[in-house]
Amino acid sequence: MTGGNFSLPHGNSPPPLAGEGQGGGSAGTAGYYDYPVVRRPVWTWEVPAYFWLGGLGAGAFVTASLAQTFGSADDRRIAADGFYVAAAALLPCAPLLIGDLGRPERFHHMLRIFKPLSPMNLGAWTLTGFTPLAFARAGLHAADTGLLRGPLRALVGLVPRRLTELTGCLLGLTLAGYSGVLLGATNVPLWAKSRLLGGVFMASALSSGSAAVTLQAARRGAPEATLHRLATVESAASLGEMAILTGYLVQSGKAARPLTTGRFAPPFWLGAVFAGGLLPLLLHGFARRGHSRTVRSLSTAAAMCSMIGSLALRWSIFEAGKDSSEDQSASFDLSKAGENLGGCGSSI
Amino acid sequence: MIDGYKRLMNLEEPPPPKKAKGFFTDTSLCIGCKACEVACKQWNQLPADGFAITGNSYDNTGHLGATTWRHVQFIEQAKANGSRQEQRWLMMSDVCKHCANAACLEACPTGALVRTEFDTVYVQQDICNGCGFCVPACPFGVIDRVPKESTFEVGTAHKCTLCYDRLKDDMTPACAKSCPTASIQFGDVEELQQRARQRLGELKARGESTARLYGMPEGKEAAEVGPLHAFFLLLDKPEAYNLPEVPRLPRKTMAERYGWSAAVGIGFAMVAALVFRGGRQ
Repeated sequence: MTGGNFSLPHGNSPPPLAGEGQGGGSAGTAGYYDYPVVRRPVWTWEVPAYFWLGGLGAGAFVTASLAQTFGSADDRRIAADGFYVAAAALLPCAPLLIGDLGRPERFHHMLRIFKPLSPMNLGAWTLTGFTPLAFARAGLHAADTGLLRGPLRALVGLVPRRLTELTGCLLGLTLAGYSGVLLGATNVPLWAKSRLLGGVFMASALSSGSAAVTLQAARRGAPEATLHRLATVESAASLGEMAILTGYLVQSGKAARPLTTGRFAPPFWLGAVFAGGLLPLLLHGFARRGHSRTVRSLSTAAAMCSMIGSLALRWSIFEAGKDSSEDQSASFDLSKAGENLGGCGSSI
Repeated sequence: MIDGYKRLMNLEEPPPPKKAKGFFTDTSLCIGCKACEVACKQWNQLPADGFAITGNSYDNTGHLGATTWRHVQFIEQAKANGSRQEQRWLMMSDVCKHCANAACLEACPTGALVRTEFDTVYVQQDICNGCGFCVPACPFGVIDRVPKESTFEVGTAHKCTLCYDRLKDDMTPACAKSCPTASIQFGDVEELQQRARQRLGELKARGESTARLYGMPEGKEAAEVGPLHAFFLLLDKPEAYNLPEVPRLPRKTMAERYGWSAAVGIGFAMVAALVFRGGRQ
């Protein structure tokens, strides 16, 4: 018996008749019926919500810290509100991360070892380290503005300002970027095929975080020059996001279909790409030329679009990834011989 | 002082390493009786998966999962031979591969997934917090988390333990013990590999030209995940059995992924610093 030309009848259809079904695979899929190769991720909505808020908080913290170090007096004063944004965004993060566990009461098992090889472990440690830093720096800002008084103010005064900002920036950038690396470190084709997802999530975190700072600045009636600078920073992140997202889609190729043409195409194209990337760039462009009366409302609209778009990006890539895990042929493509060779990261 | 700490924390010495144990599943001998599925469920006290009918074949199990640690595939194949149609039926009892470089073990953030003294991969149920990261990390789709509505140990990850409890008592795992045709063979991995090479030679001599081994140290499928301690003799391409050609180990590309992420972050920080600095003049 020679088995080379046998193929599996497709799905529920009867086996091919004589003369049909010549050659391997022509009558159906290459695999075992159309059954998935990898298991469907079990994570639920808490995960993209946490990725979004954690990224946004980290982005706001980094933007605020950079303004403290490099900005004018106005920039420093206005952007410092970003520390409030960071603290507020981080508040629900730990509950979301814990709530998604199968055994939430065992969250602390994540911290019984330090294992940076596992992005999940690294992320848990990063969140644990970054949250108190963000709250300490927000407390310092509250003390600066006179919001905090008495013994609390004295206590917060002990926090080393520059050191908190520097370590906070390092941990914040880790928090902003590890989520995309975590999804990429799986065998889900949409997440793993391209190696740029960590960069996409990082850019999305920074654009939404700086947008949150812009939003708060517009709300507080910041000087126009400061507002423009914040808008420039935000637009730079948005441009970077669109560029690396394009690279991600090109590299993913067919594996990106559940995202680009599937049921998550509307939130992805309209939410993540249009509302989250193109529209804020346009609005900030108009704001640059507009009258000072309209600058504030245009900046506000752009910032809100960017933040919502960032959520749409995480959510659509996350959910489409679950569909992608059931894409048998994409899984086979991902694990083809030679597919994983080359690239500067293949030698660890 | 370390001894005192170990006593205080109730830390045990890990058992001394033993010879690597594993399965050689010879699919050319499988008759699809599913005794392995049943024996596995019985010994490990796994609940039934319900009475879902796939409508595709006699395989109504579909895939491995949190409460299904052996799964028998029924692969119906047809080809035209002149005016006639030839058919054949491939059967294969699938199981956790106990990879030498296990993606699930590397992904695990709690250390619940460990390598035992028998060189197998094992989930410590009292440590696993059900983070679910091992589920999409496995290139074979083996490990899974128990859903909340299950009657089984809820919320943690499960997969084949290679009957760790039986190994501790020098017993054969339940599936291998129950296999009536010796399609599932249990033993020392090195010895099983020898036996597999010999068996492949026999089959080739008899004209089974498409027979091949999957999971041997010299195979291309071992390029990233290493030799599989539960390996297979197949009668068709790995894809026919839903096995990836070269199973991926996520660690291999992780540095590059972090690199791109860091590049974006550093790039943003530099641009933002320049923009803010420009406002100072």
